[in-house]
Amino acid sequence: MKQARRLLRLLLPALALALAPSIHAGEATTQPAAAKLESPHVFPALGASFEPKVRADWNRFHDNAGLFAILSDLNKAFPDLTKLYSLGKSVDGRDLWCLEVTARKAGNPDRKPGMYIDGNIHGNEVQGGEVVAYTAWYLCHQHGRLARVTELLDRAVFYLVPTNNPDGRDYWLHNPNTASSSRSGLRPHDDDRDGLIDEDGPDDLNGDGVITYMRIRDPNGRLKRHPDFPNYLMVPARDDERGEFTILGLEGIDNDGDGRVNEDGPGGYDANRNWPWDWQPGYIQNGSLEYPASLPETRAIVEFVLAHPNIGAMQSYHNSGGMILRSPGRAGGVIRPQDDQVLSYIASIGEKVLPFYRSMVIYRDLYTVWGGEIDWFYGGRGILSFTNELWTPANLYRDATRTSDAQDIEFLKYALLEDGVVEWKEYDHPTYGRIEIGGTRKEWGRTPPSFLLEEECHRNMSFTLYHASTLPQLRIAEVKAERLANNLHKVWVTIENQRLMPTRSAQDVANHITRQDVVTLTGPKVQVLSSGFVRDRFFREVVAVERRPERIEIESVSGMQAVRVQFIIGGEGAYTITVDSVKGGLVTFSQTLP
Amino acid sequence: LLLTALAGPPGAASAADYLDAGALGARLRDLASSYPAIVRVESAAESLEKRPVWRVELGAGEAAKRLARPAMLVVAGVEGTDLAGSAAALAWIERLARQYETSPTIHGLLDAATIYVFPRLNPDAAEKFFALPVIETSVNTRPTDDDHDGITDEDGNEDLNGDKRITWMRVKDPEGTFILDPLDPRLLMKADPIKGEVGAWKMFTEGRDDDRDEQWNEDGPGGVNLNRNFPFQYNWFAADAGVHQVSEPVTRMLADFVIAHPNIAVAFTFGAADNLLQAPRAEGSSGGAPGAGDRPEGTRSGGPRSGGPRSGGPRSAGPAAESPRPEGRATPSSINDNDLAYYRRLGELYRKSLGLKDELQGQGASQPGSFSDWIYFHRGRLSLAAQPWSPAMQLELEKLRPKPEAKKPSSEDKKTSPSESPAPSDAAARPEGRGRRDDRSTSPGASTRSGDARSSPSASADKRNEQERAFLKWLDKNAPDAFVAWKEFKHPDFPDRRVEIGGFAPFAKTAPPKPVLDALVARHADFLTTLALQMPRVAIRSMTSKHLGQSVYEVKIQVENTGWLPTVLAQGETTREINPTRLTLDLDPKAILSGTKITRLPILAGSGGMQETRYILHVPDRSEIKVTVVSALGGTVETSLKLDGEKR
Repeated sequence: MKQARRLLRLLLPALALALAPSIHAGEATTQPAAAKLESPHVFPALGASFEPKVRADWNRFHDNAGLFAILSDLNKAFPDLTKLYSLGKSVDGRDLWCLEVTARKAGNPDRKPGMYIDGNIHGNEVQGGEVVAYTAWYLCHQHGRLARVTELLDRAVFYLVPTNNPDGRDYWLHNPNTASSSRSGLRPHDDDRDGLIDEDGPDDLNGDGVITYMRIRDPNGRLKRHPDFPNYLMVPARDDERGEFTILGLEGIDNDGDGRVNEDGPGGYDANRNWPWDWQPGYIQNGSLEYPASLPETRAIVEFVLAHPNIGAMQSYHNSGGMILRSPGRAGGVIRPQDDQVLSYIASIGEKVLPFYRSMVIYRDLYTVWGGEIDWFYGGRGILSFTNELWTPANLYRDATRTSDAQDIEFLKYALLEDGVVEWKEYDHPTYGRIEIGGTRKEWGRTPPSFLLEEECHRNMSFTLYHASTLPQLRIAEVKAERLANNLHKVWVTIENQRLMPTRSAQDVANHITRQDVVTLTGPKVQVLSSGFVRDRFFREVVAVERRPERIEIESVSGMQAVRVQFIIGGEGAYTITVDSVKGGLVTFSQTLP
Repeated sequence: LLLTALAGPPGAASAADYLDAGALGARLRDLASSYPAIVRVESAAESLEKRPVWRVELGAGEAAKRLARPAMLVVAGVEGTDLAGSAAALAWIERLARQYETSPTIHGLLDAATIYVFPRLNPDAAEKFFALPVIETSVNTRPTDDDHDGITDEDGNEDLNGDKRITWMRVKDPEGTFILDPLDPRLLMKADPIKGEVGAWKMFTEGRDDDRDEQWNEDGPGGVNLNRNFPFQYNWFAADAGVHQVSEPVTRMLADFVIAHPNIAVAFTFGAADNLLQAPRAEGSSGGAPGAGDRPEGTRSGGPRSGGPRSGGPRSAGPAAESPRPEGRATPSSINDNDLAYYRRLGELYRKSLGLKDELQGQGASQPGSFSDWIYFHRGRLSLAAQPWSPAMQLELEKLRPKPEAKKPSSEDKKTSPSESPAPSDAAARPEGRGRRDDRSTSPGASTRSGDARSSPSASADKRNEQERAFLKWLDKNAPDAFVAWKEFKHPDFPDRRVEIGGFAPFAKTAPPKPVLDALVARHADFLTTLALQMPRVAIRSMTSKHLGQSVYEVKIQVENTGWLPTVLAQGETTREINPTRLTLDLDPKAILSGTKITRLPILAGSGGMQETRYILHVPDRSEIKVTVVSALGGTVETSLKLDGEKR
């Protein structure tokens, strides 16, 4: 055992910190184990390809029940690491499943620094669900095998919610859709303000299971067939050239006879505009609904987060575009410089492990979002949060410059052998007459093909695990007791945060979102006479606490920093120092006065 | 009559003048069982202390019909201190029910419109009026760490002198910032260093420093003020705002109710916000409502908690910079210019109903996160708000009252200067440890009545506290119990200091004595009936058809609004939360040669605003066409158009 550790230190100096014994934290409970496969004739590749306890394939999508099955199997296979519960119900009564993953026997899970991860808030952006489920699957299997994972689960807790829009997810997977439809949830919404609700959505006219486009042959149309890919693609005709087609819109008919097609489909709002911070009504921010957290899904997560103040980090998965997005969602929105510095650093690591992903600020580099999820996590709760926009077509050719429509189609043709193409075919439409229906399947464009999906899951997970590794880790680094007189001592306590993230973000401190970190000194025969903050340890400048000296309130312990406090105590014998940090955990240290 | 001494609201005997939760429930159930055809009463939610939050619906006919009619919503007791508003709302619905069979106007109203009333939204706070010790609070009992020390509700008030009321403590202290008002030493006011005044007193609410943090009563039980918990200009991180917008079960219930009743055309809220006693400001006039960003550091979003001994520590409010402010597409912060005339006119009617002549200056305007502002600015409905009673209102009424005998004018009888705040305890005598109130009413130059003041030498010498003094004099005559004489108290937290307990009793400034209440309630009921009669109402003014030959007809339909309010306010149009009025012909679209089966009509102004729609129809097989007009706020009309002329 010792040898193995020594060897590891030699090989991987970076692991030293994680495995170093510390005063406060439980040590890794298990040792790295060799990966095994059942058959003697196959061998694991690095990563996660050894024989798992819970089998799951990461080259396909799962509906809500499919994701639940993975979480549930993990829960059964790893009872010491997981807890499975529902955060609440969706509009249509589906559960919002959360798998809590942590080493349950190493410390109190509720007092560990926490990271909340969810995906798929937009129903069509499905692969976020797979990334979160993969994270759960990976963490469970690697605990006890990889020291880094073991250490993480020993000291931190993950709240993994693969989908916070199960209605939209199932609707997208089970029903005809486009790559972009079913973004909403399924709460009825009168998009066209005619008093009827969801009465005219797209229709799968040709019965092929997806919604594609309708075009009509039109000598005055301005589109023509692409010369190289005439069956798939259209391009604009030259200015002086006759076109062939006009696009009529998405596949559908005028269901309600109001002279418009597809103007009021299922749902019709945006769950990622329904969060309390910087929320604006629908006439400012389309789709925000009537008031913040009016959606049951939003409300359930808000209440869960309020009940778990130990959450210090958050990740949300969307698609698409290859982005690592951070707050604020609007110009002039809140981001504290100290917090932005931490987020930017974490995102810079993300840019390394996520090819073609760019670190971006939502309002500045994408577009304005009022009432977005991560803005509430950060602005309203002071939690350091990211949204990743999964998948970028740059991954098709590993080339950020090759992203034209024609190049995409080339990939469809040569790499996917036309899987995903819906060739244009004729159809008799009740309003338009003879038209053609065709395009690409809903899985094309915003989600990766099967052989890239597993890669996307792993790379994004590795980014969030780095993010989680920066959660604050407090340690009572030094306790120095100095005798001043009989039964009178001065005790200096050095409390250090061994990780990048502060115990309380600047946003948290500025708005008193969670309470201060509290340092106390207690003992059966000890009385605190005075206490203070050590401002300058060399010149011994101490600022005394004005009231309640037995309770030193520290605003925050910054990342990779230490704070020092002083207690003047009367009495004798044993005493215990407790550092109680909402987001940094509970640390104690006991000794006896000299 | 009014000059006879009357028991003020505090105290067990006078408390019977107002209804506690049990009595209110009984009265409402009686009403429902007496008038089952038009009154429905149910508990819409349960408060945190498990009291029912009552909802009353008035209107004739089945539920679907009532939901299609123009509706008015009245919300009272949203602040918790609002006992008077609850009484007014109850009196009004009782009167409507009684008058349904006797008054053709009321009969017509309840046949064509629906009335929704929440008579007491925060029953837990209201119950503090009846329980002992009496304490005035605007918040619910949601545990809240008001002073952000990680400990919740650890330092509330105590009734130190055993008089069953939570009043005030004044502590003689050279570090104090208050002085005794030389014109009435029962009152305190801020020392003005410019005048060479030296502070001598500190002021607190009654109680001990339970948690030894040298703040007094800074983190009592609760809570969230329901009228600070709505989305418009929500004040993030304010101690009484809640953890986010619409966070409380009761506010969520009310918001969901509003959304589920899109027929609500008009809302009236009793509370700290006001747009009736004082006309709202026009757009662009430096913003009617102070955004959270305008608040000084340490400001609490609380309303005029006159005697409300609940205070926040200096650390209680978030810095202004965090408040979300729209960029780019701005949300308006004042009433749309095109809607302003309706507010102004209704303000005139309100003041007339109450017996007031002029606008009352210095009213509460908007409050951050108020229910009434959400209804107008986000939901697009006409939304009126008023504090049913206040010292300023009472003094104004006294001034206008015909004097039974000639009296020598004295400074107490002087009218309130318009430059004075209606809630002087906040502006002039704010206790230690309480946040500063945003007081925009003390701008120099606003005082137009200095001539009057000059007639009294003392007033011309010092107008500070003028209204406070006048109100106290009024209480002396009308509700002597409402002010507790200061008495020395040996306070363990201040061993070396003189401490006195006394001052305005809880509810002294929010719940008027019974005779005042009687008149006040009747006058509010008058106004609420007037208001209910102003709702939009669509009707068909005329339908004509002309046979053009070959079964082709020209049809013209004129739809009008016979109500006073427009079918949609300008802000309603802006918010897009009110569906356009639809005129529908029950015809196969193929029969319509010109025009559309469903026509969306523009806003129809009140008092007969009209829109004509013209069609060309080819209907060889019809002699009648069903015509429907559906207005979101103006009701529904179904009728038949008879086609004239010979068919071929």
